[in-house]
Amino acid sequence: MAGNSENLLSIRDLKVEYSSGGKIINAVNGVTLDLPKGGALGLVGETGAGKTTIAKAILQILPDHATRSVTGEIFFEDRDLLKTPEEELQKIRGGDISMVFQDPMTALNPIMTVGDQIAEGIHLHQNKTKTEARQEAIRMLETVGISADRVDEYPYQFSGGMKQRVVIAIALACAPQLLIADEPTTALDVTIQAQVLDLIRNLKESQDTSLILITHDLGVVAEICDHVAVIYAGEVVERGTLEEIFDHPTHPYTVGLFGAIPELHKKVDRLSPIAGLPPDPTDLPQGCYFAPRCPRATKACAEKHPSVKHLGGTHYALCDQI
Amino acid sequence: MALIEIEHLKKYFPSSRGTVHAVDDVTFNIEEGSTMGLVGESGCGKSTLGRTIIHLLESTDGVIRFNGEDVTHPSKHKLRELRENMQIIFQDPYSSLNPRMTVMDTIMEPLKLSKKFSKAELQKEADKMMDLAGIEKRLRMSYPHELDGGRRQRVGIARALALNPKFIVCDEPVSALDVSIQAQILNLLMDLQHERKLTYMFVTHDLSVVRHISSHICVMYLGQMVETSETDELFERPMHPYTKALLSAIPTTDIHNRTERILLKGEITSPINPKPGCRFAARCPYADEQCAQPVGLHEVTPGHFVSCCHVKEINDL
Repeated sequence: MAGNSENLLSIRDLKVEYSSGGKIINAVNGVTLDLPKGGALGLVGETGAGKTTIAKAILQILPDHATRSVTGEIFFEDRDLLKTPEEELQKIRGGDISMVFQDPMTALNPIMTVGDQIAEGIHLHQNKTKTEARQEAIRMLETVGISADRVDEYPYQFSGGMKQRVVIAIALACAPQLLIADEPTTALDVTIQAQVLDLIRNLKESQDTSLILITHDLGVVAEICDHVAVIYAGEVVERGTLEEIFDHPTHPYTVGLFGAIPELHKKVDRLSPIAGLPPDPTDLPQGCYFAPRCPRATKACAEKHPSVKHLGGTHYALCDQI
Repeated sequence: MALIEIEHLKKYFPSSRGTVHAVDDVTFNIEEGSTMGLVGESGCGKSTLGRTIIHLLESTDGVIRFNGEDVTHPSKHKLRELRENMQIIFQDPYSSLNPRMTVMDTIMEPLKLSKKFSKAELQKEADKMMDLAGIEKRLRMSYPHELDGGRRQRVGIARALALNPKFIVCDEPVSALDVSIQAQILNLLMDLQHERKLTYMFVTHDLSVVRHISSHICVMYLGQMVETSETDELFERPMHPYTKALLSAIPTTDIHNRTERILLKGEITSPINPKPGCRFAARCPYADEQCAQPVGLHEVTPGHFVSCCHVKEINDL
């Protein structure tokens, strides 16, 4: 299947296996996703669900030594990234697709000024002289709300929120078509998180960048995304528009996630945790991966892997009980 | 009755650039059997305050009373007794357990130190604690690295509860956990409080969690308390500009009732040698010259204390 023209990114049946200590880790198990041009897709899930692996597969930056196999298709416009040669990928990374990592404290080079770090990508990708790149870097710093006179400072001179702004400036410097942000605000305080989310939203609108936002925080998704995919044990268990997922969560795992978060505006006596733990990716259950924790699981669920159900519109869920 | 009474508590740290006013003149009480939620952003002094109260840090000035008794400067003997009554659950279950001690050893350690139990009783008591915290018996001889985050936090809870303390400082106990596990631990903490009449001080930056678990809330900014009241009152009628901004900044999952966001300028300023006057003034949308004068908490409506000289105008009172 080729990518269609409305989608900037189309992932089809992506599977990623790692190997470690003689065991095979099934990190991503047949993920299918679409990101419309100009859209913002939230990938939601808990630690170890495979969210970051999906992002790294898109950019082809999976760790060589541990990656056993990557199969499926990842169409970016009309090109399958999994079949694109490395030299071309290098032009795409940081150019057409760029990524913001979770931890701003470690994502920056400590011995390079922030100005040089922003200018580096511009110089490499846009055929600009160093002077031009520096001018552009200064403009980017101002775009993310940092004054131009700090261009020659080093990362240690910035606070956490400011560092994340610098990382975002680097990622957006070449006006990418797609920005992948992996937990961009998880390490930040809420008032700073609000500033950074506001910044991403404004930049997305002014530069017409499409966005994949990886997070475990459903509140952050609601703030900024228009599409949502819920990831569990390396699979998309439910996907749809923000309204489809937040107004009509259907998969028992999605329902469970909403029940487990304390709500700011209403007080409940008791939270409803999801019983048990996510499955071991080296030893996935035979049937539905969520069945051992699912309140609605039947005997059949433990035996047969569920199929994807279309719930109307763009709403899909991976469950046989609905 | 107040189990914990704190008056004008200060904790300063020396640093090469001046004195860090981590906790600067904080006064409050915690009623027996209740939960005081202490909220604020990183660096506001909330963990330092929790640790100072239970004597993991020595206070610089002020008074700490436990059960009506002044325990600000306890003797060695008294401190030992206090430690049985005041415990802490730490944020990071990955670094707060000794990697070379089994689950059983970890839970037995405080019991051994108390010298109140025979060898046989130790085992029994530790087993009881494992049950209480919901740790499976088969994990008795497991090491921390074999456990997931939720189970590790349960071990931390069992250890803290082993000597049947009255007061527990919970320092971000669920921040490192995934939401589905977070809910399990929050429910456990609330059940235990109910069964054992525990008093909690719950330190966190997560306001949704704090609303869920606390009866009272203190909001801290740069070492000082800016607002305190009963929980529902604080969430329904926040009065301090910082509390308002903090509450409005929380992303909510309610996609149809978005509230207006108050975006603060800049970031938290340095707690080193702070100037007198309101510490929030530099980021406050309402600040003027008057804010350079020192302010303290005052009761604005019954039980609702705010430290802001413009509180009346801002809230149309």
